[in-house]
Amino acid sequence: MVNASLSGPSIQTIIVLIILATVPDPFDLWQLPFARTAMAELLLLSVAAGLLGAWVVLRRRAFFSHAVGAATFPGLVVAAATGFSAPLAALAVSLAYAAGVVALGRRRPGRRAGADRDHLATALLLVAALAAGVVLASDVFTSGAGVDRLLFGTLLGLDRGDLVLAAVAVALVATATLALGRTWAALGFDREGAGTLPLPAGLADGLLLALIAVVAVAALPAVGALLTTALLIVPAATVRLFAPSIKTLLIAAPLLAASESLAALYLALWLDAPPGPALATLSAAIYLTAALARALRSPRRPTRGPMFPARESPLFISPGAGNIGSPGGRGDT
Amino acid sequence: MTAPLVEASGLAAGYGGPPAIRELDFAVEAGQSVAVLGPNGGGKTTLLRALLGELRPAAGSARVEGRPAYVAQSERTRLDFPVSALDVALMGTLAGGRWWLPARRSERAAAARALERVGLAAVAGTPFGELSGGQRQRVLLARALVQEARVLLLDEPLAGVDRPSAEAIESLLGDLRGEGRALLVSTHDVEGARGFDRVLCLNRRQVAYGPPADCLRRTVLEQTYGSEIVVLEEDGRSLRAVAVQHHDH
Repeated sequence: MVNASLSGPSIQTIIVLIILATVPDPFDLWQLPFARTAMAELLLLSVAAGLLGAWVVLRRRAFFSHAVGAATFPGLVVAAATGFSAPLAALAVSLAYAAGVVALGRRRPGRRAGADRDHLATALLLVAALAAGVVLASDVFTSGAGVDRLLFGTLLGLDRGDLVLAAVAVALVATATLALGRTWAALGFDREGAGTLPLPAGLADGLLLALIAVVAVAALPAVGALLTTALLIVPAATVRLFAPSIKTLLIAAPLLAASESLAALYLALWLDAPPGPALATLSAAIYLTAALARALRSPRRPTRGPMFPARESPLFISPGAGNIGSPGGRGDT
Repeated sequence: MTAPLVEASGLAAGYGGPPAIRELDFAVEAGQSVAVLGPNGGGKTTLLRALLGELRPAAGSARVEGRPAYVAQSERTRLDFPVSALDVALMGTLAGGRWWLPARRSERAAAARALERVGLAAVAGTPFGELSGGQRQRVLLARALVQEARVLLLDEPLAGVDRPSAEAIESLLGDLRGEGRALLVSTHDVEGARGFDRVLCLNRRQVAYGPPADCLRRTVLEQTYGSEIVVLEEDGRSLRAVAVQHHDH
């Protein structure tokens, strides 16, 4: 009788060994110049998007954050067709989009029932931007692979200009967090009560949208216009499930964004997959796991509304996910 | 004689269409408390917003000494927001106008003192959303106290509040009167209004303003509330009544 243990490695062991043999050494990646540039870009974006993402989830601007990236589409089409700078074209369109949302979504003085104007404006202008982009791409210009790359991102063709833009985004977001953090927190917690304090509420709200536009544009080369959510919202929303304070959220969200970004880059290079979708898939999986873990750990609910309303989930982006329907109150943010 | 801290003269205000409130004439002296009574939609909150300067008078004028502190209904806060009771009280220090700078140690101390004053020093670090409804209302009151305002406007501070918190709030309001502050408190509690110095009956216009004994009478209350008032007991000048509340939120 032959002893199984003497018959050599099992088929499962062989498969595992083959897989392990294909795993690249992380230090080998560091030797690749484009990988080093990609890592630097992702780390800078993680700081900017993590910090700002904390405010996005606190102020319920997830829908706008997703929309402003997608709304750059017409600018990208024009830039790709004319040779104009894609970041500048996207920045112009995104800032115009943010200004449009501010203008159309402006509250009437003393009204607290006009909160849905914000996301109506966000949705209407998004539709207009996408329609303009489609018309430009199909009837005016011939869009090529360049537009596709900007819609879904690539980490292979980053240059110094992309790094500079990401660094500028970090500086702007960090400065705004220091100067406007208390105002954003007070307005987000209780718009009605904070509205009676001498705060620059309109300026703070407008700057938040403008900064989201800037960070979304800075993230375009890396993750593309359609996947900025992966950096800007999902890591912060994951941390938000556990963070007991705003300070914790502001520290942990950039750290998680950086960890997810580097892990996704590593996986993408190993599996020869596009990095943007890899990051989106990884961050979404981590969010879902964290949300499940929290639900199992703490079934207790707050006294008003559910802890995990579907429309607050970062994976459920709709007009309602952006600004209204607070689980803990009716206040718009 | 000192000037009143709050004064409305022929005041009308609204949201762009026909005025939601009109014909308001009253004055509140330092150390006076005013109960603002009226049905839902009668204009209580609109009046507070006009006094806060959020709504421009459509007619007449409103004058408030300094910047008033406002205590909104705690229902309108976000329970999921990751802030502690102390964080919320600290928001009141933004009234100082230094919004672009981090909170100073003295401001933190002021917020801690305000929480102590409302009897919540022990829960300063507790997340706001984990407090009871009454405790949340007291935290919002602490946020207003930090502002050191001479005029406080409170929107139904006792609605849905547990008895211990209601007693703490009532006691604190009495102390604030003693400090010479003027208080305007919107309320549905007709009986509770007897404890105030003045009562303002409002139903889109001023029905009555004066001492409780003059305002809390059947004819005045019926003009104010219409069918929403239920008289429980009437004996000579004494009357017990409750306002029927139709919650719209």
